[in-house]
Amino acid sequence: MYDLLEMRNIHKVYPNGTKANKGVSFSVRKGEIHALVGENGAGKSTLMKILFGLEAPTEGDIYYNGEKIVLKSPKDAIKYEIGMVHQHFMLVPSFTVAQNIVLGSEPRKGALSSLADHKRAIAETDKLIQEFGLQVDPQAKVEHISVGLKQRVEILKVLYRGARLIILDEPTAVLTPQETVELFQSLRKLVNQGYTIIFITHKLNEVMEISDRITVLRAGKTISTLDTAATSKEEISRLMVGRDVLLRVEKGPAKPKETVLSVRKLSDFTETGKAILKDVSFELRAGEILGIAGVEGNGQTELINAITGFSKTYEGSVHFLNEALSGKTIKEIRDIGIGHIPEDRQTKGACLTSSVKENLILDLYQDKQFRRGPFLNQRKIRTHAKRLIEQFDIRTTSEDTLAGSLSGGNIQKIVVAREVSKSPKLLIAAQPTRGVDIGSIEFIHKEIVKKRDEGTAVLLVSAELTEVMSLSDRIGVLYNGELVAVLENSEDLTEEEIGFYMLGVKKGEKKAVTS
Amino acid sequence: MKNRSAIYLDVIGIIGAVLAALVIGIIIIFCVSNEPISAIHAFLVEPLTNAFTLGSVLNRMVPLVFTGLAIVVVFQSGVFSMGAEGQLYIGALTGALAAVYIPGLSPWLHIPLVILCSIVGGGLFGMLPGLLKAYFKADEIVSTLMFNFIAVLFVSYLLNNVFKDASSGGFARTPYIQDSAKLFQIIPGFPTHYGFIIALLAVAVVYLLLYKTRTGYELRLVGKNPLFAQYGGIKTKKVIVLSITISGALAGLGGAVEVMGVHGALKDNFSAGLGFDGIIVSLLARNHPVAVIITAFFYAYLQIGGQTMQANSDVPRDLAIIIQAILVVFVSSQAIFNYLKQRKASRTGGASIAK
Amino acid sequence: MLSSIWEQFINLSLIVIVLRMLPPILLGALGGLMTDRAGVINIGIEGLMLVSAFSSIAIGAWTNNWFLGVVGGTAASMLVSYAMAFFNLKMKVDIIVIGFAVNIFGAGITVLLMSILFGSHGNYIPATPVSIPAIVIPFIDQIPVIGKLLSGHNLMVWISILAVVFCYFIIYHTPYGFHLRATGEEPSAARSLGIRVERIQYSALIWSGFFSGLAGAYLSMGMTSMFVRDMTAGTGFLALAVVIFGNKNPFGILFGSLVFALAQAVTLVIETAPGNAVPSQLIKMVPYTVTIIALVVYALRKRSYKKIRTSA
Repeated sequence: MYDLLEMRNIHKVYPNGTKANKGVSFSVRKGEIHALVGENGAGKSTLMKILFGLEAPTEGDIYYNGEKIVLKSPKDAIKYEIGMVHQHFMLVPSFTVAQNIVLGSEPRKGALSSLADHKRAIAETDKLIQEFGLQVDPQAKVEHISVGLKQRVEILKVLYRGARLIILDEPTAVLTPQETVELFQSLRKLVNQGYTIIFITHKLNEVMEISDRITVLRAGKTISTLDTAATSKEEISRLMVGRDVLLRVEKGPAKPKETVLSVRKLSDFTETGKAILKDVSFELRAGEILGIAGVEGNGQTELINAITGFSKTYEGSVHFLNEALSGKTIKEIRDIGIGHIPEDRQTKGACLTSSVKENLILDLYQDKQFRRGPFLNQRKIRTHAKRLIEQFDIRTTSEDTLAGSLSGGNIQKIVVAREVSKSPKLLIAAQPTRGVDIGSIEFIHKEIVKKRDEGTAVLLVSAELTEVMSLSDRIGVLYNGELVAVLENSEDLTEEEIGFYMLGVKKGEKKAVTS
Repeated sequence: MKNRSAIYLDVIGIIGAVLAALVIGIIIIFCVSNEPISAIHAFLVEPLTNAFTLGSVLNRMVPLVFTGLAIVVVFQSGVFSMGAEGQLYIGALTGALAAVYIPGLSPWLHIPLVILCSIVGGGLFGMLPGLLKAYFKADEIVSTLMFNFIAVLFVSYLLNNVFKDASSGGFARTPYIQDSAKLFQIIPGFPTHYGFIIALLAVAVVYLLLYKTRTGYELRLVGKNPLFAQYGGIKTKKVIVLSITISGALAGLGGAVEVMGVHGALKDNFSAGLGFDGIIVSLLARNHPVAVIITAFFYAYLQIGGQTMQANSDVPRDLAIIIQAILVVFVSSQAIFNYLKQRKASRTGGASIAK
Repeated sequence: MLSSIWEQFINLSLIVIVLRMLPPILLGALGGLMTDRAGVINIGIEGLMLVSAFSSIAIGAWTNNWFLGVVGGTAASMLVSYAMAFFNLKMKVDIIVIGFAVNIFGAGITVLLMSILFGSHGNYIPATPVSIPAIVIPFIDQIPVIGKLLSGHNLMVWISILAVVFCYFIIYHTPYGFHLRATGEEPSAARSLGIRVERIQYSALIWSGFFSGLAGAYLSMGMTSMFVRDMTAGTGFLALAVVIFGNKNPFGILFGSLVFALAQAVTLVIETAPGNAVPSQLIKMVPYTVTIIALVVYALRKRSYKKIRTSA
């Protein structure tokens, strides 16, 4: 077993200044399953994009079979027998399985090879299916097959193009447990046939089960490469979540009062019927911060959507001050005193092509005090906006500036200002400081704690474990759609401990807070 | 109001596009004409030099302001309606019926009534594709194009069969409207009729609606970022239906004003593309209601200029149409405007964008 | 009146008229189909047709050769569609705006050239008529019914029907067709497999220009023997409707075009029938109404399908 691939000292700085990779070195041996693990934003995706020719590294070299290579496009990657199965399927729904597999390199026939050879496409697909034991009907339309089968098609696609090194980006994220088992069997078979696999994931159980070696990335750097046999989930988890910057937030002990939010047996399903939230129950009281930790995509978005009224398809119940929220519109939910800092401020939380002022009045433009006859009371709106800009230290030239021209931190301050200034009884803060500068992070954290002290119930959902640890009074962990733990955030609760729950190492000691 | 420098850049870019299109037009004139100087004079200068042609420009501008505003409203809410033409016909129809068949009213009552009828007619007709889009996800581009044909044919049917004036001979038109519903010249002798005032009022109303009211706020927000609007609790579907209804009302009003001010009766095929011209007017105005006054004027000026050119030289007026087409493409060219903005950014920011 | 339609139907005149009306709608729709399948909505077919209608008869009359006329007209239309692609893909002008601009450009340029070249603003009738020939099939034209059905139609009628088959093969049986559909349906998937999406869209627009060009040539040199300003009179939009109506499938489009052509033919028959009672406008409205219904039905079908998937 020799090094098939080596990526040396890879740096990637995006045009907007984000440093995604800060010196990653990484090597893969021929014929192994190599797991690439790391938290959200650790730089895994960027690294793989570079390897597949979708992004060019700012610095660093790639060696393939000992030879230095330059990858300018996926075509180059395919030439070097590198294939990638994307997390989001790249399939044409109305095409059959066989058609999807051969797309772009169809077998041809006829005069000047001008016609697509359907029969040979099917035959070749069949051959692949036989060879690798990835059962799927070549003539089925992709729009009609299950997610697990779609993934097989993706793998077959890569194999059809002659890939020997296959990158799988979070392949199990969309699969049911049964499908995952089948996937792993297929991967084993591939490795036995001499293929090499890079497996990107968050789930340490899977890592332990399937991989030969593991590389841990953290904050854009390689932390370590380990032999799976010689390590433990605990060790990997520690390496992954290791604390980098310690953000201290000054706060006194919580003084929880009445229950504000009560979630009971909440379940939700994807379009394809996969459970994405499973029987989630918890209560949140006035004057406390409940942090929801977890790797992204474990049901956080669905939980927030259920509470804020975006999703109506869920099972179970959500009560706000003893009032069921299921029949209420988004507007009604906002109006009864629920503030919501959404996870994506670029698309949901703010309108970048509107002015700061217009972003700040999203709830208030219907308020009587901002009306003057049939019109909006521009003067009052302006005063209100000016007050918030000052109070929340939003760095903008004026209230008429377009929100999109401000920095990420200041846009987020607009969102926070709007949601906090309405004095909500419940504040849902999803990824409140993502991609925000240190100064703004501190400011936003202080605001959240201030709200708690004023008696607001705060539900903090964040993929940043440090953020959850430093702000929360209690911490719940979502894993695979389940609330696997709700813990008191005491002195002796460690990041490791939470990491174990987040990554599925530990489970079951659920201290369900029901009353 | 928003970002000053961005607006300056836009205006400079648009003026540049106008000049470029005019230069291309002039080059064409030089290529095809034996008397290019007099053709250019007739095209660009004459419309502004005498009262009659200037008045005609203003009259021609009136329906363009209405259809332009109609498009402004839908485009600002992110709906790509092409339906102003059909809405204009239906509004003209309902307006004309009120203008022709209700006798004995004072103008102070009759004209507002006609206006109201046209607004309701155009608005309800406009609402149809809006409902189809909002609740059935039927693509509004295709559906509004189809509704245009239906409206034109429907009006044509009525004019040929139901409301045809017996004394009109071969022409398909309604009887002439009551004098009490006519829009007369504002200044006797100067061709511009009172519709011009109504058009300016409509601009003011649309401006206030879009920028000063709650409805306008919702409408613009849905157009700019529907997800944000939804997150804020705005019922985006209702807003879409409302915006296209308002659009229909404006186009319909434009149709009725043409009937009351220019034709004096509802005539078959009287519009000949006013609804489509509205799209150009709105695009040139960057979908701003006040700028519509300028672009509608410019557009009307090109059309009247084309006519005087055709009358006084060997160049046909269709040259104006070609200039309009080129202009639309230039003004809508994101690549050019982005390039301008980037150049500006790189100059002011000091850092050049590495290529 | 009904009897007069029936009579025309019996003696097959109606079918002959339908076939005469067919090519512009059908070819225009095929042009729309090619772009639609690549995810580009081309509303400029009307303008492309006009450009070709004028250039083909002008070139045809000048060279006194209908074939060169067709080639010239089609080439002109393809040139304009290439410009559309350039402005859409390179200059980032919205495709709807471009299509729209091409429509007014087509209306303007044809009349401008007509008045400059032939001194007329309204129409142009060449001194020596030039037209695409009709195909009289020997022997068969002697057979009573079949003769009338098969023989004596304009060449372009046959070309347009062959074009349906041609499009079908291109779209469903060539690698290019797969790339075209993948580009329209899931561009990111196409791109990830090294398919050059932009190039495919260029080609689709040029196909659109090609078919619209043939349609235009037929308008001026087949259906009539002259160019009249704005002679397309909405045929390009009708073609767009047919694309929807035919569910974006070449044979569906053939069927749709026949329905639309029938509506036009019936209108024609009624208008000329003595003592007609049914207003032609109402019949003309039928295809548009049906298209709107089709639009809703297809949208609903898509949605109910999604629902089935959700509940599964």
